[in-house]
Amino acid sequence: MDMKRDYYEDVQLFKSNVVLFWSAALLLVLFTIPLYTPNYYIYLFNIIMVHIILAVGLNILVGSTGQISLGHAGFFAIGAYGTVLMMTTFQLPFVLAILIAAFIAAFFGFILGLPALRLEGPYLAIVSLGFGLTIMHIIGGMDVFGGRMGVKVPPLDLGIKQLGISWILTTDFQKYYLILITTIIMVVGARNILKTRVGRSFVAIRDSDIAAEVIGVNLTIYKTLAFAVSAFYAGIAGGLFGFVLGFFDPFTFNMILSIIFLVMVVVGGLGTIAGGIMGAALITYLQYDLLKNIAEVPYFGALMVAVSKQWFTVVGLENFSSMAIGLIMIGIIIFEPLGMFGVWIRMKKYWMTWPF
Amino acid sequence: MVEGLAIGACYGLFATAVVIIYKTSEVVNFAQGEMAMFSSFVAFHILSAYQYPFWLAFVITMLFSILLGILIEFLFLRPAKHPSILGMIVITLGAEMFLMGLASWKWGAEQKFFSLPLNPSVTYEPVKGMIITNWAIAVFAVTACIMLFLYIFFKFTRLGVAMRATQQNKHAAKIMGIRTERIFSFAWGFSSLIGAVAGMFFASRATLDPAFMMEPFLRAFAAAVLGGLMSIPGVIIGGALMGLIENFFGYFWPHWKPIIAFIVIILVLCLRPSGLFTKHYVKKV
Amino acid sequence: MFQKRMVVLWIAVWAVLCLAPAAQAAMPAGFDDNEIRIGQWGPQTGPAAPWGSVARGSKLLFDIVNEEGGIHGRKIKYFIRDDMYNPAQTVAVVKELVERQGVFAFVGGVGSATGMAVRDYLAAKKIAWIGPAAADKDFAFPLNPYLFASYPLYKDEGSILAKYIVEKLKMKKIGILYQNDAYGKDGLEGVKERLATYKMDLVAEIPVEPTEKDMASQVLRLKTAGAETVILYVMPTAAVITMKTAANVGFKPHWVASNTLSDYPLMFKITGGLWEGVITGALAETPDSKSPLMIKYREAAKRLAPEERWGVFYYAGIVFADPIVEALKKVGRNLSTEALLKALNSTKDHQTLGPKVNWTEKQHQGTDSVMIHKCGPNASYIMLQDWTTNDMATWKK
Repeated sequence: MDMKRDYYEDVQLFKSNVVLFWSAALLLVLFTIPLYTPNYYIYLFNIIMVHIILAVGLNILVGSTGQISLGHAGFFAIGAYGTVLMMTTFQLPFVLAILIAAFIAAFFGFILGLPALRLEGPYLAIVSLGFGLTIMHIIGGMDVFGGRMGVKVPPLDLGIKQLGISWILTTDFQKYYLILITTIIMVVGARNILKTRVGRSFVAIRDSDIAAEVIGVNLTIYKTLAFAVSAFYAGIAGGLFGFVLGFFDPFTFNMILSIIFLVMVVVGGLGTIAGGIMGAALITYLQYDLLKNIAEVPYFGALMVAVSKQWFTVVGLENFSSMAIGLIMIGIIIFEPLGMFGVWIRMKKYWMTWPF
Repeated sequence: MVEGLAIGACYGLFATAVVIIYKTSEVVNFAQGEMAMFSSFVAFHILSAYQYPFWLAFVITMLFSILLGILIEFLFLRPAKHPSILGMIVITLGAEMFLMGLASWKWGAEQKFFSLPLNPSVTYEPVKGMIITNWAIAVFAVTACIMLFLYIFFKFTRLGVAMRATQQNKHAAKIMGIRTERIFSFAWGFSSLIGAVAGMFFASRATLDPAFMMEPFLRAFAAAVLGGLMSIPGVIIGGALMGLIENFFGYFWPHWKPIIAFIVIILVLCLRPSGLFTKHYVKKV
Repeated sequence: MFQKRMVVLWIAVWAVLCLAPAAQAAMPAGFDDNEIRIGQWGPQTGPAAPWGSVARGSKLLFDIVNEEGGIHGRKIKYFIRDDMYNPAQTVAVVKELVERQGVFAFVGGVGSATGMAVRDYLAAKKIAWIGPAAADKDFAFPLNPYLFASYPLYKDEGSILAKYIVEKLKMKKIGILYQNDAYGKDGLEGVKERLATYKMDLVAEIPVEPTEKDMASQVLRLKTAGAETVILYVMPTAAVITMKTAANVGFKPHWVASNTLSDYPLMFKITGGLWEGVITGALAETPDSKSPLMIKYREAAKRLAPEERWGVFYYAGIVFADPIVEALKKVGRNLSTEALLKALNSTKDHQTLGPKVNWTEKQHQGTDSVMIHKCGPNASYIMLQDWTTNDMATWKK
């Protein structure tokens, strides 16, 4: 049933009317979420979508091209700082600022891609990690970037100041729509990249870079391109993240964030768009909402406090959520090596062949 | 200088733990730091809650750390079916978060005092201006012992040879009658033990808290990569280089100290993609 | 056919979009007839978790208030939220508290960056925030009508400490080890400003990165510079490593430290006794002080929170939170945010365990006073200098 008969069928956005219907339904739900969701969740949705953009971009690099990066918090930071700087010092309109910032990030991605031509696995991991740390250090050490005190984000003005057009987004609702639309564009874009010549070259490099070179894939171009594209996504995500937060300092983009990004991609499912989306949504939700304030949960909370008093310390009870996240991560990988995307495929198969 | 070398040796020692696991199973163990942290906490607990003498506590901790390594391998890594390398890394990250949560739940986040039975104020000054502390001597001695032991172990014992065989080709080793699973458990237990020793050195230098092994782990990982991830002497030298570079630059440009080592590593890797002390192997298609 | 469908789809989507803003629900009020809801964020997990005791200390105060019957018939319901010292998480928990739980005011809150991330949000929502547990110039300057700061600025503290070193200890060669961020740099600035009045200069200024775990080279620099006194503006772990390294290389200056390092029992324990003799600034009275309020709180802590250590940062939580209790008592039964702000703005010489706090409509930085303590044998507290204001504080003019 998943047989493709020609190329155009493969690149088609909606494979069938069923897919079209469900995509439309999903879009409708996404666009109407603010109607029936309490206000405080919108912020969480915004963060999740920013992470989705990043995870989809990182997945192009890690999942499709097979390169590892532990420095994506660095690109994320370049996006955030770049956008804010462009808007405050150069008075550029938001759209232009975020694009320039993302291109700067992409340029750095290209530079990081150069050593990647010779390195792989843990060696590349250390280089990218060193890159992330260096970026943070430079930003923290320079007063242009606000140093370690952090920077205050200007109001999110979609209009162009020079022409006197101003359309300032203030509430989380308004930002939600901006981020949602950006996310959709970026996700569709990623899908198109992967379905075309470039994407196939990436996959060829992942499966065997030497074989790819033999059949005519230019390694220099495509490996650095993969880094640049991925960094571009991270830059866009970073630019939006700054406005979601309103204030940030270099410590926000620490090394742990890079690792979390990688976890999102692997837990979601390597090499698939849906995997990046699901992983980002799950991990962000777990981090921000699950098992927080455990002592306030009825019954269970009291039990946990009692257990803590007996064997542990009550003051450390909050760490329970970190333990739970760790176990969930391990569980997903143990039971489903393809990540959440694997779970999804299984569910789909089960229902498609249902009574059998 | 000596201090830098000692810190470097400590990084190297800890990096050895990373390398042992990497050598057998090609997994970079991100939980290494937290495993060492947990073992150090166990030592602290035995010392403070039961008031055992240090050496007894040390032996118990060593046994515990072996058990911890084997347990993590057995519970978390072994059940994974067809794991990818990245999948394995995520599992170790999960184990890291779990251990960190458990330790902070059990002992709280406040810093603890941990000391080795060494008098910190005893120092030696063989050459003018070169001060050697007890701590540094202990680090050098322990590192040398472990190096010697590892050398003999990998060269001459059956288990050591089996471990090397497993690393080179898991399937062939299995066919030759080596129980590769047992080798993995052994590697994890062993690496956890070395990590715990290094962890105690770090803890006695700074403080003991649930996050104290994060930075040393990164440094050790970098040192391991600098040394080439495969050769144990190379890793020790990598660690020593790391300590020296950091302290040398730290003296003149304290501002850039935290990243200078990483920049040097990036440059080195650009020239020698497999680290300083391994032969660059040619990949086959 | 395909195109047409897309058009219909987009129309539907935009129609829904236009309706969306109408759906914003009203925020729950922060109090009702029986309770007033107060919140605080703080790192209970993660790298900064030791500071989490501030939030739990405030809980003790509210528990005592509730035990005494609440404030004008209303009990205080207190929420602690863990933010892991991460601004993104702070925004999330604060929004959750404001928009789901309906919080009337916030107290305390550890961290500058975390506080800065929510400062404007709280002001926009017209929610008062009293006593942030961090000294940051941006909290009180420029004036924010909803934010009342009571933490003495590190700059003032640095200035007072420097004065003490020069005038009382008669030290000439002063070095400083400071963390390379707002905390350390403010302290550095204060010290320098004071030394300039004596026509003196620091013999060494060594920055430390926040995550540093190896101080050998920094200590060596201080030693080569020949510093007799070293001022520490660093985190506890960094201070411990510095002290141990210094002891190893036989470097024994007078150590002077900021109030973030004034938890002597902890510092004494984790330095293995090296902390004895260190002089620090202090935010609050000594923990064994005989003042009646201190005795009252100490006894209450034994009863209500026996698992907590009676440390400086635990009862600092009380210091940061008590102005709001005072103000709520003053307001009376007719509670509203405006009334609370008015009461807070008329706070004059309010003092419990901490410095005297004064807030007026034009000045929301409540104090510039610190005490100076010294760590005696067995981590005992010796008071060297009572509350001292900084005569050079520039913000007062």
